[in-house]
Amino acid sequence: MSRWELYIHIPFCRQKCLYCDFASWAGRDDLMSAYVNAVKHDIETRAASLRREDGPAATIYIGGGTPTALPRDLLLTLVQSAIDTAGMPGEFTVEVNPGTADEETLRQLRQCGVNRLSFGVQSFNNRLLRVIGRIHTAEEAEKAIRMAEKSGFSNVSLDLMYGLPGQNLDDLKSSVNRALSLPVTHISIYGLQVEEGTPFYRMYEEGKLALPDDDVTEAMYDYMTEELPRRGFRRYEISNFARPGFESRHNLGYWQDVPYLGVGAAAHSYLDGKRTENRRDPADYIRAVEAGEPVCFSEEESSRDIAMEEFAFLALRTASGIDESRFTTKFGCSIDAVYGDVIAPLVRDGLLRRENGHIALTRYGAKYGNLIFEKFIRSV
Amino acid sequence: MMQNKNIRNFSIIAHIDHGKSTLADRLIEYTGTLSKRQMEDQVLDNMDLERERGITIKAQTVRLDYKGKDGEVYEMNLIDTPGHVDFTYEVSRSLAACEGALLVVDATQGVEAQTLANVYMALEHDLEIIPVINKVDLPSADPDRVRHEIEDSIGLDASDAILASAKTGLGVEEILDAIVERIPEPDGEENAPLQALIFDSYFDSYKGVIAHVRVMQGHIRKGMKLKMMATGKVFEVTDVGCFKPQPVDIGRLDTGEVGFVAGALKDVRDVRVGDTITTAERPAEKPLPGYRGVNPMVYCGLYPVDSSDYDNLKDALEKLQLNDAALVFEPETSVALGFGFRCGFLGLLHMDVIQERIEREYSLKIITTAPTVVYHVFKTNGDMVEVSNPAELPPQTEINHIEEPYVRATVIVPSDYVGAVMEISQEKRGEFKSMDYLDTNRVMITYHIPLNEIIFDYFDRLKSATRGYASLDYELADYKESKLVKLDILLNGDPVDALSTIVHKDRAVTRGRQLAAKLKEIIPQQMFEIPIQAAVGSKIIARENVRAHRKDVLAKCYGGDISRKRKLLEKQKEGKKRMKAVGSVEIPQEAFMAILKIE
Repeated sequence: MSRWELYIHIPFCRQKCLYCDFASWAGRDDLMSAYVNAVKHDIETRAASLRREDGPAATIYIGGGTPTALPRDLLLTLVQSAIDTAGMPGEFTVEVNPGTADEETLRQLRQCGVNRLSFGVQSFNNRLLRVIGRIHTAEEAEKAIRMAEKSGFSNVSLDLMYGLPGQNLDDLKSSVNRALSLPVTHISIYGLQVEEGTPFYRMYEEGKLALPDDDVTEAMYDYMTEELPRRGFRRYEISNFARPGFESRHNLGYWQDVPYLGVGAAAHSYLDGKRTENRRDPADYIRAVEAGEPVCFSEEESSRDIAMEEFAFLALRTASGIDESRFTTKFGCSIDAVYGDVIAPLVRDGLLRRENGHIALTRYGAKYGNLIFEKFIRSV
Repeated sequence: MMQNKNIRNFSIIAHIDHGKSTLADRLIEYTGTLSKRQMEDQVLDNMDLERERGITIKAQTVRLDYKGKDGEVYEMNLIDTPGHVDFTYEVSRSLAACEGALLVVDATQGVEAQTLANVYMALEHDLEIIPVINKVDLPSADPDRVRHEIEDSIGLDASDAILASAKTGLGVEEILDAIVERIPEPDGEENAPLQALIFDSYFDSYKGVIAHVRVMQGHIRKGMKLKMMATGKVFEVTDVGCFKPQPVDIGRLDTGEVGFVAGALKDVRDVRVGDTITTAERPAEKPLPGYRGVNPMVYCGLYPVDSSDYDNLKDALEKLQLNDAALVFEPETSVALGFGFRCGFLGLLHMDVIQERIEREYSLKIITTAPTVVYHVFKTNGDMVEVSNPAELPPQTEINHIEEPYVRATVIVPSDYVGAVMEISQEKRGEFKSMDYLDTNRVMITYHIPLNEIIFDYFDRLKSATRGYASLDYELADYKESKLVKLDILLNGDPVDALSTIVHKDRAVTRGRQLAAKLKEIIPQQMFEIPIQAAVGSKIIARENVRAHRKDVLAKCYGGDISRKRKLLEKQKEGKKRMKAVGSVEIPQEAFMAILKIE
């Protein structure tokens, strides 16, 4: 028996946000019913054997897209089917868009066994919400979160974004404070990235996206990484903050080398040390499931070197960092034998700290995560 | 067997762009050595680099058969010489293999400093010089003025100078006849013990080291056992022949002839340019005179970007050394850059060419440290040490005084620019020596200038101040005491040995500030603020800061997609391939040359 996780992707949205380059589509609601059937079928095909060998999934996470863009019945049958096949997990999260949340849905989700909700709020400033193309207002977000509490959820997360066009430090501070005044236990923060293929990218190219300058963006980052811990939210992962005991176990699993099965369009899996990605287009995914064709393909060659690199740079995202004894057990050699020359100077420069058999980013090092992770990449 | 009296060995002396290669092409074509169709343009400059830069780096040789006016067939060996101040020694070796030279001067330009230097060298070798005034077909040609210039500046009788146009072929036959009539036949005793001068060599992957030789006396036959007089290496001749211009094995070379010799010679160090080849059984009593050791004027460190390329770099340098007697190198270790080589070059162009060839022909990424000259450091204990690496300068307390090399620099410019030349030369610590009018419009100015100053942008500045008209030649004059100090650069508080330079004391503060400012531009932002300090001894004379990199954007990323995160990191890493990590600081290659780029 070993720990495993299940991720289910819902690639539908009422409206696509202007910055989003995820696998999600608006206006393809006609596919929803067939899609949910295909996902249920895919779970049965691939999760049943995992459950037989490894027991029930430790966590289940339905993300998107917008899971709550699905009609209530479809969403509930999907939740039920996931639990039936994968088992009742310790943590079951569903992502919710405040614009598509209704009390009845939340109540029934809770009754089925969902025990954690993650709200994509991004900001509590209505002007900014419009600028980035969200479908809800700040007030609707507040209402939805209070509704979650009323529906019996005691573990609620919300996402906030910084570095938005036209956002200043005061806007951000006020969003953070409104978030903290709500019954939430977990906050994720993300900086806006202008991704190719998004409307924001085109606007950026045309010089029409007024992004805050680097200094302001940095000030926002500094504010959040200082204010949230001060208010009782520990930074347990680079982008994630939680009250003690409310860390997302599903999220941590990704960084701690826990195997996971991803079902649905564009979902990724990590099983038996191999990483795979599902067909990206929902119609293509449905067709493949119906035809009994493989839904996933291999992402990259998996070699021992790559596995070691990933083990290291993913674990470094977490506050506890790399567990040295787990590294040794998994790879049969000490981490120093592989990365001694990388780790020592980083420790010396105060970017990594090494104590109690763990190697982790220092507070300072956390600012430069990517520059540090890069040093663990050797195979390029 | 070719009679000595029918052999003519000659080279061509010309300034860049005065038409040397085109003339060589015409001679090859006219004598039917190659048909027009077989000829690639400018056959003799056969290295890509040479063609791109329009210069000759390697000496090249070709044998031309020409039927003279007397009806006899003459064997003419043209030895094409390099045309840049850096390659003076190569020119001297080639000239030593000749009895005569064509002096080619552009009818629209006149004599240049470079040409003068080579003509003087040819005269030292007692060569017969045939002046050729080229490009007379151009509307701006002024052959009379050029004729006077040749007479006034060189003291050569130019009354019978040949008027030619290599482009149209005008004068080519006249030149060939002049070679027959005016250049002496080689002397040398056919039956005397063999003496053959190696004036160049190259490495052929099938035949090993191939030596370009001029047989001064005796002869070479296939199968003979030969001996290198300096290295003592004995070998059997497997190939011997001449260049047409590809090497053609004809089984023999006789007294007076020019060609090549190959035998199982695998090691470049066995074939020293300037060495004399003799026979193993009946060796000559002594080697040929005139060989002088090569003294590199400029040194720099070459380091592989990827330290695992060390052996490949060594191999590349050895192969290049095979074709290039002037290149010297020895292993060197830098705290900052790891294992590499300290390499000596004839000059900056030579250094550039070698660097570029290593990168192009051997696909190696290298880091070059700033070039430096050889200093004579007199210590308080009476010892003198030669220092070609600033990092190796003894501590100030152990130094009594330092001497640096000075060159005698000759600049020729139109008279309008005399002021500009003097201003720059003065600023470069030059001592004015003389000024002579070559004609009413052109002036030859001589300065004694520290070689170190020449290495820094002297010629570039001259050219830009004279709109490209200045021509420069220089030769090592002597060593003189100077007030010199070591300028160190500290990054993040640690001295980086590969960034140290030796500068004049009065310039140290200015140079230090300029260098620190330049490094600030070059070194990218990193995780820390990086203080850049310039120091002389323990005194900090300048300070700059590279601001810290902005913090990461916390990217929203669907957790399961690890390959996306990996690709991002890989891309980030790719961007740093040309950088060298020194301590915790990533330094791009240009940083080590920054000292050359300051204004």
